[in-house]
Amino acid sequence: MRTGIFFCQVEENNRLNIAAVAKYAANLPNVETVQELGIQPRLDAKDLAGQVHSGNLERIVIAGDMPGYFKPVFTKAMALAGHDPLEVRLASFREHGASGSTTLERAKAIVVCAAFGVPFALAVEPAETPVQPTTLIIGAGIAGIQAALEIADAGKPVCLVERFGTIGGHMAMFDKTFPTLDCSACILTPKMVSVAQHEMIRLLTNSEVIALSGSPGSYRVQIKCKARMVDVDACVACNICSEVCPVEVASEFDAGIARRKAVYIPFPQAVPNAYLVDAENCLYVQSAGKKCGACLKKCPKECIDLTQKDEIIEIEVGNIIIATGYDVLRAENIEHYGYGILPNVLTALEFERLTNASGPTGGKIVTKSLKLNKRTKLEEWVFDANGPAPKSIAIIHCVGSRDQNYNSYCSRVCCMYSLKFAHLVKEKLPGADCYEFYIDMRAFGKGYEEFFERIKHEGTFVIRGRTAAISELNGQMMVTGEDIIQDKLIQFPVDMVLLAVGLIPAHGTEELSHMLGLTRDEDGWFSELNYNGRPMDTEKGCIYVAGMCQSPKDIPDVVAQASAVAAGVLSSISSGKGIGHRGSVTLSEIEARAKNLQAK
Amino acid sequence: MAIRVNPKIIDDLEGYGAEDVQLCYHCGNCSAVCPHADEFNVFPRRPMRYLQMGLERKLETSLEPWLCYYCGQCSDQCPRGAEPGETMMSLRRWLISRYDITGIARLFFKSTKVELAAVIIVALLTGIFFLGFGLWQGDINVYDGSNAFLPSSFIHNFDLALGFLVALFIGLSAFRFWWFSMGGKSAVPIPWWLYIKKAYLLPWHFFTQKRFADCEKETTRRIYLPWLAHLGLMLGYVIMLFIVMVFVKQLQAGPEINWSVHVFGYLASLGLLIGVVYMLRGRLKKNRTQYQRSHGSDWIFLVLLFIIALTGVTQHILHRSGLLLAANIVYIVHLMVVVPWLLRMPFTKWAHMFLRPLGMYFSAVRNEALAKQKSGIETTVPARKVA
Repeated sequence: MRTGIFFCQVEENNRLNIAAVAKYAANLPNVETVQELGIQPRLDAKDLAGQVHSGNLERIVIAGDMPGYFKPVFTKAMALAGHDPLEVRLASFREHGASGSTTLERAKAIVVCAAFGVPFALAVEPAETPVQPTTLIIGAGIAGIQAALEIADAGKPVCLVERFGTIGGHMAMFDKTFPTLDCSACILTPKMVSVAQHEMIRLLTNSEVIALSGSPGSYRVQIKCKARMVDVDACVACNICSEVCPVEVASEFDAGIARRKAVYIPFPQAVPNAYLVDAENCLYVQSAGKKCGACLKKCPKECIDLTQKDEIIEIEVGNIIIATGYDVLRAENIEHYGYGILPNVLTALEFERLTNASGPTGGKIVTKSLKLNKRTKLEEWVFDANGPAPKSIAIIHCVGSRDQNYNSYCSRVCCMYSLKFAHLVKEKLPGADCYEFYIDMRAFGKGYEEFFERIKHEGTFVIRGRTAAISELNGQMMVTGEDIIQDKLIQFPVDMVLLAVGLIPAHGTEELSHMLGLTRDEDGWFSELNYNGRPMDTEKGCIYVAGMCQSPKDIPDVVAQASAVAAGVLSSISSGKGIGHRGSVTLSEIEARAKNLQAK
Repeated sequence: MAIRVNPKIIDDLEGYGAEDVQLCYHCGNCSAVCPHADEFNVFPRRPMRYLQMGLERKLETSLEPWLCYYCGQCSDQCPRGAEPGETMMSLRRWLISRYDITGIARLFFKSTKVELAAVIIVALLTGIFFLGFGLWQGDINVYDGSNAFLPSSFIHNFDLALGFLVALFIGLSAFRFWWFSMGGKSAVPIPWWLYIKKAYLLPWHFFTQKRFADCEKETTRRIYLPWLAHLGLMLGYVIMLFIVMVFVKQLQAGPEINWSVHVFGYLASLGLLIGVVYMLRGRLKKNRTQYQRSHGSDWIFLVLLFIIALTGVTQHILHRSGLLLAANIVYIVHLMVVVPWLLRMPFTKWAHMFLRPLGMYFSAVRNEALAKQKSGIETTVPARKVA
């Protein structure tokens, strides 16, 4: 077919050398004419029809970042010239991902496929590879647990790696889920126990992936199993070691609002249900056996070994699922909210632990009270179950989200969990006033809008407007903001402020992305292959993303994505064929394939 | 009453400097951080809303832009980069062009080239006129006394004529300002005695710029330098304007220094130079939010003022050191800059020198009128309760 290739751009693209692509395109077989029309060219269908006629062009390729923009005029030109208007092909650089280090090669490949009239996706499909049956899952939050159970229930082996001492992730910390107000632990803990008991799941807690080699379908992974120093099988979680341990540090599981010992169990329902030693804070470990050792003497099962060393194991896996989750933004960075200075300004995770029945106050919502710390002889603000209950609580949405100074994206779950907090406050403290400061209420899911209506009817003050500042006036916290609907400035006293802080990728995400060779988007989340069509695949073969590590999402979406990933993994195992790295196909291979496909 | 909407106003304002108004999603952060926003003047968000909705009439009658000294806190904390502070600044420019009946202000704000061309033409005309006049009636080697190149009595009359012209246009703008915000176009009836009760605020705001200092009242690290520089600059040229208008004869006499007049001249020159250098430096380094974007007219104002101060001081020094030819030449240059600079005053941002204190005075009057109107029906519920 006699082909004419026209390069048209909608806007400037400095990363792509159009001239080089055009030069390359001119040497393709059957290419009659190559024209660089520049940015936003004035196109006239009659002129183009004349060109089609004089060159006797049977096919037109429009190449550019958004070639579809120019398609109507070319179609018209083909029709005017009496040629087949369906033979206007698009070579879309943006759609087919001509970006990054391989931009030029990719753009050339896209033009070749269009010139041959072959779908690009067919020509670049990477070669299939045989797949090992074992699956590695990094991160054992709800996403990792769900995917692990799906795969293991299908009879395939899973290795589940978790950095923390217990599985469960953030969901284990929550009190209730929105909008159904189900008890979070009641949904999660049975799944956690299933993971522990499953014969197809190898559970590695307190462990981290440190190196990856091999190719899709048979990766070799090095995992560092940090010394737990407590024998998981022998420990009966009797708590005697914790009682005698003299060290106290902030508890990660309680989001820092309670304290734990250096030998501890993250929470009573932890899986594996065994204690572990925090080597960084253990006096015995830090002094190389010269100090303390109290737990060693008291343990009735003699299952503590403080001399245990970290261990590095190597396993071979076929597929890898990343489910590393998220962290919350550091609220102390946002100075005007006073977090870290004013004692009763809490982040969302802290409030989750406060209101949780297994939290430090047994689920009572109280304000912090001053207590003397016997060790440091200093007065500290701590939560005490007998402390005073707040009379008014302000909940501030979009803290660090949708804000170009922090995260420009919406963290997606904050509106709903803030509404949930309002409900919990009203449920536990019916007399307390609760104020929600929001910018836009993003109640997007099933039953969410109804939940919002319910919260309003429960008597929560819902104020459209962002709080600008939290200050202290004579020992009383004041919130300042604007009520947009009433067009009024407001300032009033509150006893407690909850910050609906935005979400950021979990720490270590960057290192992991380098290790696995994955790209991340501008906000730091792992990039998926195709947002609509393949939201859990990555450009690396046999590596998948599930849950929050791809983008913020709520629990139902996380679970759905985790199951979808499991389906992809299982299909690759049962067919024995995995997909290689995308982008691994070279330009000459694509040319050859395009020729073959055209011949068919 | 029908509300007339002008959807183009937001595009129109781009020419005055506000480019990002459309980004605003109305979180209210800016109004809440603004130290000057009060019960009746909830800004900058409200004017941002008016702009987005094209409520030209509401903007014309609003006093809020005049209450802002552009400390930049709103822009710093804006989550959208919508630049509310810059918008207030641009609205002041736009309002000046609205108050101006000649249409020159609009022309100048819209095109810096036009303004620059006008300044150059007036400067050249002034230069030719004074050079011709000087050569025709005097001796270029004589600075003062009989046969002077530019006799001080003539300059005095010239100053007064120029001052009258400027005062006329400023007065017209001020009247229209009153008419739009308080008079015919205003929806709030204002008792006349409130104007008298609050009259003291006019000189108070004019001479102290107290509200500029108030910009810092809620911040932890208070920076008073911009206020002091602004005040120094303003007092500098008010004093200078006054002594040039009234005492130009004594100013030009010499060569011995007449301390009773000259001391004010020295102080004013010092204030002018320090203020101008501080502002030029800020705008060049862009070290604070309010200096990030400079409109062409800001540059023209500062650069011309710098030249004026410099040539003024130079001719004074040259005259005292006996270099009379050089002093006369520098004098011509000085006049070439002073005349266009004074003439453009009513049509540029410079008008804010009078209009801003006026706006603050009007606002105080209007606030009290509104408070009286509202008292009794006002409730203090902080938020809407849906039940």
